[in-house]
Amino acid sequence: MPGSRAYLWFIGPALILMFLILLLPIGIAGALSVTDYSLGNTSANFVGAENYERIFTRTTYEKMFGATFRYVFVVVPLTVFLGLGAALLIHSLTRFGDLYKTIYFLPVMAALIAMAIVWEFAFHPTIGIINATLERGCGTWLEAWNWYAAGCERTFPLWLTDRDYAIWTVAFIGVWQGFGFNMVLYLAGLTSIPRSLYDAAGMDGAQSGWDRFRLVTWPMLGPTTVFVVTISFIRSFQVFDTVEAFYPQGGGPSKSVYVMMFAIYEKAIQQNLMGIGAAITVVFLGFVMFLTILQRWLVERRTHYV
Amino acid sequence: MSKIVLSGIGKSFGETPVLRGIDLTVEAGQFVTLVGPSGCGKSTLLRILAGLEAADTGTVTIGDRDVTRTRPSDRNLAMVFQSYALYPHLTVAENMMTPLKLRDLGPAGRLPIVGPMLARSEYLRLRQQVQTTAEALRIEALLHRKPGQLSGGQRQRAALGRAMVRNPVAFLMDEPLSNLDAALRVHMRAELSELHRRLETTFVYVTHDQAEALTMSDQMAVMMNGEILQYGRPAHVYGAPASLEVAKFIGSPAINVLPGEIDSTGGLSVMGKLLLPDTRLARQPVSVGVRPEHLTLDPNGSFRGVIRHRENLGSDLFLHVQLDGVEKAVILRSHPRILAGTGLEEEVTFSATADEVHVFGADGLRLHMARPSLVEVA
Repeated sequence: MPGSRAYLWFIGPALILMFLILLLPIGIAGALSVTDYSLGNTSANFVGAENYERIFTRTTYEKMFGATFRYVFVVVPLTVFLGLGAALLIHSLTRFGDLYKTIYFLPVMAALIAMAIVWEFAFHPTIGIINATLERGCGTWLEAWNWYAAGCERTFPLWLTDRDYAIWTVAFIGVWQGFGFNMVLYLAGLTSIPRSLYDAAGMDGAQSGWDRFRLVTWPMLGPTTVFVVTISFIRSFQVFDTVEAFYPQGGGPSKSVYVMMFAIYEKAIQQNLMGIGAAITVVFLGFVMFLTILQRWLVERRTHYV
Repeated sequence: MSKIVLSGIGKSFGETPVLRGIDLTVEAGQFVTLVGPSGCGKSTLLRILAGLEAADTGTVTIGDRDVTRTRPSDRNLAMVFQSYALYPHLTVAENMMTPLKLRDLGPAGRLPIVGPMLARSEYLRLRQQVQTTAEALRIEALLHRKPGQLSGGQRQRAALGRAMVRNPVAFLMDEPLSNLDAALRVHMRAELSELHRRLETTFVYVTHDQAEALTMSDQMAVMMNGEILQYGRPAHVYGAPASLEVAKFIGSPAINVLPGEIDSTGGLSVMGKLLLPDTRLARQPVSVGVRPEHLTLDPNGSFRGVIRHRENLGSDLFLHVQLDGVEKAVILRSHPRILAGTGLEEEVTFSATADEVHVFGADGLRLHMARPSLVEVA
């Protein structure tokens, strides 16, 4: 029917919702980021790029980027690598595969706030299980390792409150919590690889497991890997609950765990500085957007990958 | 070129036996087809020969070498899969390079980027080999495309190329034509036969399509329920099926089976009509198989039925004729010209060529008749 407006009824609801709950808030955040607005104020002053200037010049925000990137670049490679490793091992099992799957996936399902409390106990310098276990190794051959000997002599690190260790400890918990998710994605990818490709590889002379992995498994997991890496990046940029649980104030020792999401929360909610909070949000959106576009591009490059 | 011998091959998946002691000898350079309905174990047998599956019992010998416990890559066999199993991330040329690289290059030469630099002369030789094979299969133009950009027939050729490129002892093919359209399948049948003549290598070919088995092979093995029912030249399997099951499976349209009996004087009668006077067989009820081409329309014929359906193929015309007392309509072959005026539901009479009928006993096995007088009974 030429001239019919029926199509509006089909795309209308989606368009309206997308505008109301996605585009409009982003626009408002963008607008707020160039003001000094606080919640409760009736008006706000236009401050231009001042908020952004602060983000890229002040040491607090330098620490914020430092903490965020340290976290991201430890957690992403490790969760991807461990996720793939666990998936390969479980996939090769004939029995107990489901049991291991459940065990590795448990941390993903657990509420991270609750888990953070458990980890806090484990890392406790005096009553924590970690340092207690380490102390048992004192006096053995482990002391040949200088770091270990130093720990025995004085005390083992205060994992969560030493600024040299805090971010890595938080990153470790991030890895522990996150790799089960990647494992599930990789398992799905592995089951979709046709068996006949492994048969073909066997006939073609691929003898070792490594040959088969390089010839079939890894290339066939390419699309899965692109997805897993992107998702891991976005999830680690979003890290918040562990930081908030361990360090409700100030973002850890010397702000060494002051990650982006926590900065947004601290500025905009705790300190009611909506303008700067919105500006960090926009920068954050920029990172995520960049990663998503990169992923789209990589996926589209492989369209002939039937 | 070596002879392949499978002896006493047995295989079960869990409690279900798939192969029950298969013995099969493939002479060097022969084109041997394993044909049977799906689930008969033919693919499993091929996979055991390839080394992709381990047999529970029995041995596999290639040439003088017992390879029962040898891994697939050391048997020097090449396989073409039903799904072609081309590596989708590699171009056709790289797909064909893969078996050469894995066999002829050391670990260093296989490294990405630096490998080709370390083993430059080998790479040149391998590329030359790929080029020669591609020319033989006329796929040079496709060498730089990936499998996803090829049509079914082109993928088929690329898979053949990957198998051919390293001059294997034998080619194993697992229903390689079943993903192609009908016209291309017929064309590829001729091409594969041509290829076999040119390469003079052993082919072991698995199919469920009896037409492929009949048209291409030197020897065919009809398999059912994990056993080889008959092994021989296609003409022999078609012309003298060893059992009723084989007779029913080979030939299209299927053979007609009519109830018959041998009387006390050894005479064979079908539905009460004497067909052969003296078969020297003992008195017993039998099943009589008659192929559609051995039934002819005949105004004086002894069988009478009603035309239920006609299939005009242009060159042939198949009539489905319902006889009294037989559940399944009998199919007979004729020519469109002869039957121009005959319509459905008309009554026709026909006769059978007596010396071409196959007689099977109650156990389904072929009964060998003495045929002193080859009379056509009208």
